[in-house]
Amino acid sequence: MLLEVMNIRKTYGKVVAVEDVSFSIGRGEVFGLLGENGAGKTTTIKMLSTLATPDSGRILLNGRDIRKYRRETRKSIAVVSQDMNLGYELSVFEVLYIYALLRGIRNSKKLIDETIAKMGMTEKRNSKVGTLSGGQKRRVMAARAMLSGAELIFMDEPTIGLDPAVRREMWDIIRQMQADGRSILLTTHYTDEAEYLCGRVAIMEKGRIVSMDTPQSLIDCAGAFAVDINSRTLLFRDNDAADDYIAKESLTGHRVRRTKLDDVLVSSIGRAV
Amino acid sequence: MTEALMGTYAVFYREMLIFKYKLMRLGYVFYSVSTPILYLLAFGLGFGSRVQIPDYGAFLIQGIVCMSSMTNSFNMVSVSVGMGRLHSGEFQTVLTSPVKASAIMRGLVLSGVVRGLFASTMILLAGLFVFHVFPFTFVAFVALVLNTAFFSAAGVIIGVVIDDMENHAVLTNFIIMPMAFFSGTFYPVDFLPHWLQKLVWLLPLSHANKLIRAGELNAETLPSFILLLGLTAVCFTAGTFMLNRYNE
Ligand SMILES: Nc1ncnc2c1ncn2[C@@H]1O[C@H](COP(=O)(O)OP(=O)(O)OP(=O)(O)O)[C@@H](O)[C@H]1O
Ligand SMILES: [Mg+2]
Repeated sequence: MLLEVMNIRKTYGKVVAVEDVSFSIGRGEVFGLLGENGAGKTTTIKMLSTLATPDSGRILLNGRDIRKYRRETRKSIAVVSQDMNLGYELSVFEVLYIYALLRGIRNSKKLIDETIAKMGMTEKRNSKVGTLSGGQKRRVMAARAMLSGAELIFMDEPTIGLDPAVRREMWDIIRQMQADGRSILLTTHYTDEAEYLCGRVAIMEKGRIVSMDTPQSLIDCAGAFAVDINSRTLLFRDNDAADDYIAKESLTGHRVRRTKLDDVLVSSIGRAV
Repeated sequence: MTEALMGTYAVFYREMLIFKYKLMRLGYVFYSVSTPILYLLAFGLGFGSRVQIPDYGAFLIQGIVCMSSMTNSFNMVSVSVGMGRLHSGEFQTVLTSPVKASAIMRGLVLSGVVRGLFASTMILLAGLFVFHVFPFTFVAFVALVLNTAFFSAAGVIIGVVIDDMENHAVLTNFIIMPMAFFSGTFYPVDFLPHWLQKLVWLLPLSHANKLIRAGELNAETLPSFILLLGLTAVCFTAGTFMLNRYNE
């Protein structure tokens, strides 16, 4: 296992942001953390990236406690944060150059230009980052992670606020990172994204992980067949059960469809409340 | 370059790039030195000959150089760290990189020193132009470097502890500004009532002023020099410690 998280907890005053969270990420895996606003995703990433100390619990990277091996940990990880943390004044190249220096990468200029080209940002190489569009900024942030050479990349809602086409470009970038052998922890609100990218997902709710498996298993477990009744969705294990229900309740005009991860998320959170 | 040196350079270079872009913006230089030069002109030309201080022009230049070096270093570093932490999140990128806390600290302090020295130079030049004096020695220069290093290191500490940029304004108004006015910037400390003098000698800026005015190391100024050196070391160590223990 690359990363092992054991029973971590974090409180801010009376607010329990993360409670008893455990999971692990294997090499080359894209692991998804799903959950509504305030579920504790960012707080979890802060703890895993050495920015916040858990109140309790342990985090191992390559079998070593990240608190004891902080510098080694920081060499192995990169963070693409939820906030656009690029500043304003510097150019795309300068941002990446300074990042490369921070990562201790020597003679980085060629590598940076290659990364910029890979991101399709060559035209913007010398533009101030403050003048970039949201999608371009996200790409520069991803470029830093690519550049870092980190084996584990934390991506905190990397596609938030992007239009559908740019979102798919970001998916390609994430797939590319995976193909390069990186492991990724991805948080997102978009279940289609998690379904497409993640080998396994954990659903977080109020600081806890309420379920965790492959997207398909989560769907199967919750019920692979869905019936929409107004704003609610009922999940069924098999098609016949769903048909029976429609017949029994004489719900004319309702049809059975395949369950999506979205439905699982809504129903799991609905159940827990 | 060793890795630690690269880290220091990364932090320093970033600040210098931002500084360069600021300087390129028309009016920034004027804006940044207009207040101290206003003090210089208003006090210098206004009191000039009437005040019972010999060479008041030179006295004032030294005081304002010292004061501006403090405010520029302190503000640049504390705002960079504070805003980078609380608003842009850029500082977290530095914190989660493999750079040692002491290397980050060195980069920040060095950039604060440069900013402070830049402001000081502008005022010395203004003084030369207006009063035709250049009251500055090598020892004064060393004292100025120490002063800027101290206030830069203090700036890191403040930047790391504040949880809101409003706190920064409060600190500036209640600590930095009074220090600027009472530490012998515009008139000698012994003009103040006795009880206040005792307090004023607890302020690092008074000692920096004393050193810069004396322009040499002697039995009287050496304690101030050692004090400033010690305070800088303490702040540097404390800042490094806090960066190491950083926890959100
Ligand atoms: N520094 C802090 N001080 C106080 N409370 C905090 C702090 N950081 C997070 N919290 C609280 O912890 C909980 C989890 O926040 P977190 O940012 O981890 O959620 P999230 O899952 O990332 O949400 P989002 O999807 O909106 O980004 C929230 O209730 C939040 O208000
Ligand atoms: Mg978040």
